[in-house]
Amino acid sequence: MAGKETTPGQPNMFGGMSSGEEGEDRRMHSLTTNMCAESNGNKVILDPEPPTIPKRRQELLKWNGWGYKDSKFSINKDGHVEFTGERYRLSGSVMPLLKDWMKATVGISLDHKSPSQPEIPAASIPLPVKNEEFLAEFRKSGIPFSDDCQDRLFRAHGHTLHEIFTLREGMFERIPDIIVWPNSHSDVVRIVELAVKHNVVIIPYGGGTTVTNSLECPPWEKRMIISLDTSQMNKILWVDEKNLTAHVEAGIIGQDLERRLAEKGFCTGHEPDSMEFSSLGGWVATRASGMKKNIYGNIEDLLVHVKFVTPRGVMEKSCQVPRMSSGPDIHHVIMGSEGTMGVVTEVTLKIRPLPPCKKYGSIVFPAFENGVGCLRDIAGQRCAPASIRLMDNEQFQFGAVLKPESKSLLTSFMDGLKKLYITKLKGFDPKKLAVATLLFEGTKEEVAALEKRVYEIAAKYGGIPGGADNGERGYMLTFVIAYLRDLGFEYYIVAESFETSVPWDRCLDLCQNVKERLHRECKDRGIQFPPYITCRVTQTYDAGACVYFYFGFNYRGISNPVHVYEDIEACARDEILANGGSISHHHGVGKIRKQWLKKTVGDVGLGTMKAMKAYIDPQNIFANNNLMMGDHSKL
Amino acid sequence: MSTQSRNVWIKQDDPKLVSAKHKDIFEDILEDRRHSSDLRYSARSRDVPRFHLNKPRTPHQIKDHVLKSDRVQYAVEQMCQETQLPRAEVLAQASSVVDEMAHNLRDGAIRGLAYFLMKVLKKLYQRIYVNEEGIEKVRSMIHEYPVLLMPTHRSYMDFLLMSYVFYHYELPLPVIAAAMDFMGMQFFGWLLRNCGAFYIRRSFGDDQLYWAVFTEYVQTQICNGDSPIEFYVEGTRSRTSKTYTPKFGMLSAALEPYFKSQIPDIMVIPVSISYDRVLEESLYAYELLGGLLKARKILEEDFGNVHIYFGEPVSIRKFSDGRVDRSKHSLAPRYIVSLTQEEQDLIRLLGHHVVLVHQHNMVISPWSMVAAVLMQSQQGVTVRELIREVDWVKRLASNLGAYIDWPVNESAETIIRASLALHPNIVSVTPDDVVQLLQVAPPAVQGRVAKQQVQHFTVMQNAAQHIMLSLYRNHIIHVFVRPAMLALSINSCRQDQLSLDDLYQKYAFLESVLCRDFVFIPGHTKQDFEHTLATLAHIGAVVVEAGAVAIKKSTNKTTTFLSQMFEPFLVGYWLMCQFLLSSRMQVSAKPLARTQKSLTKEMQALCARLLQEETIHHHEVLSLDMANNCLHALYHMGGVGKEKRDGVVYMYPNVARLSAITEQLGTYTEVPPLPAVSINLHTKTVTVNAKL
Repeated sequence: MAGKETTPGQPNMFGGMSSGEEGEDRRMHSLTTNMCAESNGNKVILDPEPPTIPKRRQELLKWNGWGYKDSKFSINKDGHVEFTGERYRLSGSVMPLLKDWMKATVGISLDHKSPSQPEIPAASIPLPVKNEEFLAEFRKSGIPFSDDCQDRLFRAHGHTLHEIFTLREGMFERIPDIIVWPNSHSDVVRIVELAVKHNVVIIPYGGGTTVTNSLECPPWEKRMIISLDTSQMNKILWVDEKNLTAHVEAGIIGQDLERRLAEKGFCTGHEPDSMEFSSLGGWVATRASGMKKNIYGNIEDLLVHVKFVTPRGVMEKSCQVPRMSSGPDIHHVIMGSEGTMGVVTEVTLKIRPLPPCKKYGSIVFPAFENGVGCLRDIAGQRCAPASIRLMDNEQFQFGAVLKPESKSLLTSFMDGLKKLYITKLKGFDPKKLAVATLLFEGTKEEVAALEKRVYEIAAKYGGIPGGADNGERGYMLTFVIAYLRDLGFEYYIVAESFETSVPWDRCLDLCQNVKERLHRECKDRGIQFPPYITCRVTQTYDAGACVYFYFGFNYRGISNPVHVYEDIEACARDEILANGGSISHHHGVGKIRKQWLKKTVGDVGLGTMKAMKAYIDPQNIFANNNLMMGDHSKL
Repeated sequence: MSTQSRNVWIKQDDPKLVSAKHKDIFEDILEDRRHSSDLRYSARSRDVPRFHLNKPRTPHQIKDHVLKSDRVQYAVEQMCQETQLPRAEVLAQASSVVDEMAHNLRDGAIRGLAYFLMKVLKKLYQRIYVNEEGIEKVRSMIHEYPVLLMPTHRSYMDFLLMSYVFYHYELPLPVIAAAMDFMGMQFFGWLLRNCGAFYIRRSFGDDQLYWAVFTEYVQTQICNGDSPIEFYVEGTRSRTSKTYTPKFGMLSAALEPYFKSQIPDIMVIPVSISYDRVLEESLYAYELLGGLLKARKILEEDFGNVHIYFGEPVSIRKFSDGRVDRSKHSLAPRYIVSLTQEEQDLIRLLGHHVVLVHQHNMVISPWSMVAAVLMQSQQGVTVRELIREVDWVKRLASNLGAYIDWPVNESAETIIRASLALHPNIVSVTPDDVVQLLQVAPPAVQGRVAKQQVQHFTVMQNAAQHIMLSLYRNHIIHVFVRPAMLALSINSCRQDQLSLDDLYQKYAFLESVLCRDFVFIPGHTKQDFEHTLATLAHIGAVVVEAGAVAIKKSTNKTTTFLSQMFEPFLVGYWLMCQFLLSSRMQVSAKPLARTQKSLTKEMQALCARLLQEETIHHHEVLSLDMANNCLHALYHMGGVGKEKRDGVVYMYPNVARLSAITEQLGTYTEVPPLPAVSINLHTKTVTVNAKL
């Protein structure tokens, strides 16, 4: 058995079977309030908490944009950009440099506004398709559901440019006909059984943050479409301190999971940029990656066990072991299945004690190439901090203009000094320098030692420490940039991000060539304003890196901006593949990148996927048409 | 005053007085230099555009990069394993290869050369015309892409002119791939190296280390866009003024960085350089005849005008769109040389494309049309007739897409007399206004020189004039080759009608025969055929009725002229075939293999004899170039076999196939009578000539 690999001094993998070795510090975590009676051994059952995201999401979240309704960029009465609300550190502050930057880089003009259409009235929303036999039987189950127009509209989309633009300017051709909110794994089993019986389509819906068109309903679908919203399945069912695992319902969103584990002194450490809204089930279904994967791993490293409800029945392993040799790993069928084969209902994840020390940092490099060299070296020496990201010059400048109005003279004085030091003293060209942002986690000593080592390596590549503040702002940018796109929409800007993974030796060429290609394609398509194109290296591995691109342009004078954008992004993806990059590092394939899947996995690979789909879901109940699914004409 | 125009807005009233500095799309870059200080010009500050992704490097840093590159390090490692030599020794070897190869482009040397060149160019040429629009494209391309310049190669002057033009227009001087032969030249070799020439061995077979250094040296300069890179896709100077078939070694090395996605794109700029008079004309003539005679010394003569046309830049990305899949290189490190079949095919296609663009952009001088007419009237022709014929050829060539340099404000007679005057070493005009090829008197017989040798000498001397004339006819011959292949097929037809399918078969056969002497894009035979047929039909030279060519109506001045122009080639080829068939010796049923060199030499001797006996009268068949091309074509058609012995290529006829080719070839044109015998070979009767 796997016991072979248990090394002395480490906790036994089989929590329930271990005996007598519980030290004081490993005692089960006592909970502040009503601990559930059924807790047995060292498993803790946590109190359910009302979900952060309500059933009527549109009451909390924007219906036609990113994030919370109360948080957005807007132009204030002085003509400056301001971030509203009080949820974020940036909330309530004015960014005096941002407006001019937007004018200069993408040619925004405050005189040319492109406001969104007002809310889409019920009359414009298509009538739901109703399968009466299904509904009759389903009502008896007592599972909550809704066929409210706005509820259905909200679940008809993710957050690609195309979808948000459609919300602002038009309407989807096909949207879900009914929303169901299962409360547990058994509810999901029941729903899937009924769907199979009555030939009804299910599209699982977690956080709705997809950027691959994977939630889009196939317009040709004549059957009733259920949107299976997992948001009510948000309980942490138990925490096993001995094995450092937690068993969690798949509907929980990232911020809730981390917050509630933190109450008990733990974390999963899985922090994708969308963690405020995205769900655990979604992470599994798309093979998500978290910012701090260097310490905690990506979702495939964190996953210990998963329950997967399919039309054939429940797919799961019989034990919760750290590793097992049992033929092809069924977890890898589930991970990345993108809702084409079933619903993830419960997941056992690895957890870690919260790190006592958390520290930001940054390194300024004279040029992007130096930064890439340094990151590769750090990855090669396997001493990467929890997170290390390298922003190119364009992104660094963007980060700088996001600086809020400085509250004190001292800060601006210090900023001035730093700038002087870097540009004058070290001779860095402000138009060329690149910045790496760092996040260290661990004990104080570990962090100190790692910091020292990382900065030493950086020095070899001409990098100098740039302060914690720059680092922190870099990470803040990640959360904020999604909001910024909505401001862009108001002023004729379309923008989107896309990502890839690439071997180290091609990393620089890929960044350069993709940027060049984007510029070229914009020019060829007659886009009149300079596009904004920037990239950053966001993850490092032994064998390569993850690269993230942001691309946006001012579409004034262009009649079909979304179409043009999509064309150009497709060219960029071709270029990425030609440069040895991948179809996606963590966003997934969905519908937006289907055209490259065959090339990526080959005929046999694609055939294998199709064969699995055909066995698991012969009726095509999970008909969201993502991944390997053919056109409807071929189905 | 007398020069004052009737209208105030007109500056120059008399068309005769308008200078030829600007002409159509061209601008003369020498004119201004004739009125200003050369020294100041060569010392002026230059503001050159630079590739936007370029990181400035010195020639020394480039060398350093090459030696440290993954590719060279990998090759060094491989070599250490194979030869068991110590690493340091192999590295030293690599280092000496780089030193031998690398250029040392320096500003000072460039200015020096510019000063010196300007003096020379002003002496040699009347005007050097450059198409300004093309130059402006080059300028913007240099900023945005790595640039490959691919000029035609007719003269040593080519790269001096290119560098001068780049200097003149404030563009970064190109670095030039040059053959090793230059390096040997004492001062010149050094000067060129400092002006951007880098030296490449003509062949380096499977010397992996050399390959690695060469490839890296070229590629790193492309990737970083240090300078535009100039090389000749034809591989070497064309001695015949015809386009040589493209070579692919350098092109492959240069394009690999795109296929391996090291750079976003590469721009290929074809440049056509047309000379009114080629500096090395007589050198070439004698070289083609095998260096039998000494070249005349070139004095300070008038070499007329030069036209340099910068063609439309070809984006390799767009050119290869949908034809190659670059992601195929994702599975191996990029420093290991590998190109997919699609990429190799693409490189072949691009090579052919570039030389065809070259041809299209050549500027045809009146003299080359005069040469074409004179070639067909070797007995002499009056100036009046010549003018008429040239005018006719001019119309024909224009219709076939040639760009002709014809001064509009001069009379035809002035133009033609001027071009005759430009070539006094080839033609003369007799007092009764007849144009004749210059006759060269045989040298006085000294001592015991055999009579035969003197005769041979005379034949060769006369041939030299003909060959020189043919060099100029060759300036225009590419315009006519496809139509001529149709004309030959039609004119040799004995029926009243020729179906289009049969015509195509005949056309296709000629293409495979002529594929070394002329350039055809592989696999484009059908398109070429259809396009040519349409062209000839539209100018009324060929009449198609009910899906067949009406032979009688299609036998006219145009088709006859075209057929005659190519007759020397067909006769030459046919003779070569006959020669091969007759010279085979049966050694246990296998024909004796001979080296290519001995074959062509003997073939030449045979032709000289036939010329002397006046069995044939096309002096062009003496050309070694034609003989070599013929052997290559026959090899590709299966008429000749090849084998390597001690590293030398030996060739032998495949009798059955060769006989069939010979017979077919004989149907296109009138062939000279040769004594023939019939023999029985493998129960198949083959007509073979007696030993020639």
